[in-house]
Amino acid sequence: MRLDLTILAPHLGFLAQGALLTAEVCALALIGSVILGMLVAIARTSQLKWLNGLAFAYVDLFRNIPFIVQLFFFYYGLPELGIYIDAFTTGVVALSIAGGAHASDVIRAGILAIDNGIIEAAEVSGLPRRVIFSKIVLPIALRTSVRPLGSVLINMILTSSILSTITLNELTGNAKIVASDTFRPFEVYVVLLVVYAALTYLVSIGITLLHRWLNRDMQEQVS
Amino acid sequence: MRYTEFTPFDLWLLAQGLGVTIGLFLVTSLIGLLLGALWGVIRFYRVPVLTQVITFIAEILKNSPVLVQLFLVFFGFPAFFKLNMTPVNAAIITLSLNTAAFVYVIAVSSIESIGRDQIEAARVFGLTRWQVLRHVIAPQALAFSIGPLTALLVNQLQVTSLISVIGVMDLSKIGANLNLRTLKPFIVWTAVGILYYLSAKLVATLGAKLEKRLRAHSAFRGL
Amino acid sequence: MLKVDNVKKAFGQTTVLDGVNLTVNPGEVVSILGSSGSGKSTLIRCINGLEKLNAGRITVDDFDVSKPKELAEARKRSATVFQLFNLYPHMTALQNITLAPVEVLKRPKAEVEAEGRALLQSVGLGDRADAYPAQLSGGQRQRVGICRALAMKPRYLLLDEVTSALDPEMTAEVLDILAKLAKSGTTMVFVTHEIEFARQISNRIVFLEKGKLLVDLPTAEFFAADGGLAQPRVAQFLSKMRKD
Repeated sequence: MRLDLTILAPHLGFLAQGALLTAEVCALALIGSVILGMLVAIARTSQLKWLNGLAFAYVDLFRNIPFIVQLFFFYYGLPELGIYIDAFTTGVVALSIAGGAHASDVIRAGILAIDNGIIEAAEVSGLPRRVIFSKIVLPIALRTSVRPLGSVLINMILTSSILSTITLNELTGNAKIVASDTFRPFEVYVVLLVVYAALTYLVSIGITLLHRWLNRDMQEQVS
Repeated sequence: MRYTEFTPFDLWLLAQGLGVTIGLFLVTSLIGLLLGALWGVIRFYRVPVLTQVITFIAEILKNSPVLVQLFLVFFGFPAFFKLNMTPVNAAIITLSLNTAAFVYVIAVSSIESIGRDQIEAARVFGLTRWQVLRHVIAPQALAFSIGPLTALLVNQLQVTSLISVIGVMDLSKIGANLNLRTLKPFIVWTAVGILYYLSAKLVATLGAKLEKRLRAHSAFRGL
Repeated sequence: MLKVDNVKKAFGQTTVLDGVNLTVNPGEVVSILGSSGSGKSTLIRCINGLEKLNAGRITVDDFDVSKPKELAEARKRSATVFQLFNLYPHMTALQNITLAPVEVLKRPKAEVEAEGRALLQSVGLGDRADAYPAQLSGGQRQRVGICRALAMKPRYLLLDEVTSALDPEMTAEVLDILAKLAKSGTTMVFVTHEIEFARQISNRIVFLEKGKLLVDLPTAEFFAADGGLAQPRVAQFLSKMRKD
């Protein structure tokens, strides 16, 4: 059986549509994850024991249960509660919640890495906690967290393939359709593998550039 | 006659599913560990061509979705190589290779974290590369790598859930069947989630204990 | 008036401040001297509320720093300059200076910025308003730190070993500025190892040893043989410092 990649040619447009949907889902879920991650990270560094515990439980739970189980829980469960949302929204919600658990760990590490002295200077000048968090802690923590958050994004792109199981027409879902249309699953999935790998490679380059740009003013220049 | 309610037999079904999940997890983890370590050794010896090939394959495996890898092996290989492939075989091949790719990266980084000066000293004393590997590098690399390896294995346990998509009767597949039959997603997926969670915690705890023992060993040798 | 009243502070088993009494009147420049571990920095950190007291009372213009609501008011009246500068790394020099006046004192941004630029100008950094801390030398960073403190128009300026992390040349830069401030009537409490400098600009010198305040005298008397030097520990300390 010879490898024949040309049979994929007429389906490239269809696959591109799937890739676009993947990008959309991941972009929205990234925003959701970062927002959720920030809130949970703040909760985890809080003095209130119950808030701390709740946040810890959330992270622990969603990092130790497979994504497909979480996804099915929402996809089949939410209609039971009378919440009817489409596969796209369910996917974004599920990815945001799972991603938020990872993101919160990353941001929390970033918060803890901030020099104590800087926080002290802020406290001593009378700045209220809310302002210290929003103007000092989070801006610094997010700058240092860019790289690991990039890993969260890359992970999310790969995890998004699981959304094909709830009939979402993202990249993997569309590829399955093409594979059955062309009877050439080998070619289709090999190409798919390479496309995902290339996508994540591009994203990681983008992250490196973003990290450099965001931290451009924080590189030590004078000894 | 349709049993839409839960029966005690369902507990047995869940147990079976868990058994399949754990069984496949152990088998693929073992193969993955050995294979990944072997790849690490190959890289240590800087075998030409083979090292680059391995690194390339590992990168693709790490940066593409496991679901797609499963589809490639389960759907693509039989079509292209004209061989028979059962879901379980496909699962073992895919997960073992996927685990190996991540183990390879951990092996490389733990070997590299051992100072060059130790290796140089050993070589200067006349030890062969193999002896250096066996007596100087391996024990220390092992101690360094337990932490990341435990985290990896906990993650790979979650990944096994994807084999349900190609029809393996693991815990997730049993869950999907139960869900279909009883239409009680909250109960089913919560139960499945708890079982995965407990298994993950078990792996994490065992890993932590092992790390303590290995670290104690190396600390003593440091004397 | 800044009043430290029989303050005790311990970290675990170690007593760092053991019944310290100190009063600072507006316009005074008070130096706190003592060997490492004598409790000098801890005293400053108690005054600005970074450390909680185990016993005793500190009031800044009658606001008790141990009471949260009053601490907020106390902090509006004092400003601290730190040994390690503690500038906000993601903000420019000017932004570092304007943050607190805008957020805490609720002053209009344009006004604060103009003042900030003037302050930077007065310390010789007029052209570095938009530089980030990473682009500044240690001495420059500390000067920004001083401006940041002054922008709050504090009644009491607290300085915690502000030249200890600087090399001799940068130390001289900063000490110059502090000398000017002292002459202009700013109330200053500073912890320092720079004995000569303390002698030149302080009204009063206070000596801490193992958490106890051994001497509290006007400068001239402190360095007199029958005043501060009469205390054996003080004489010992000063001779050691001078040798270095």
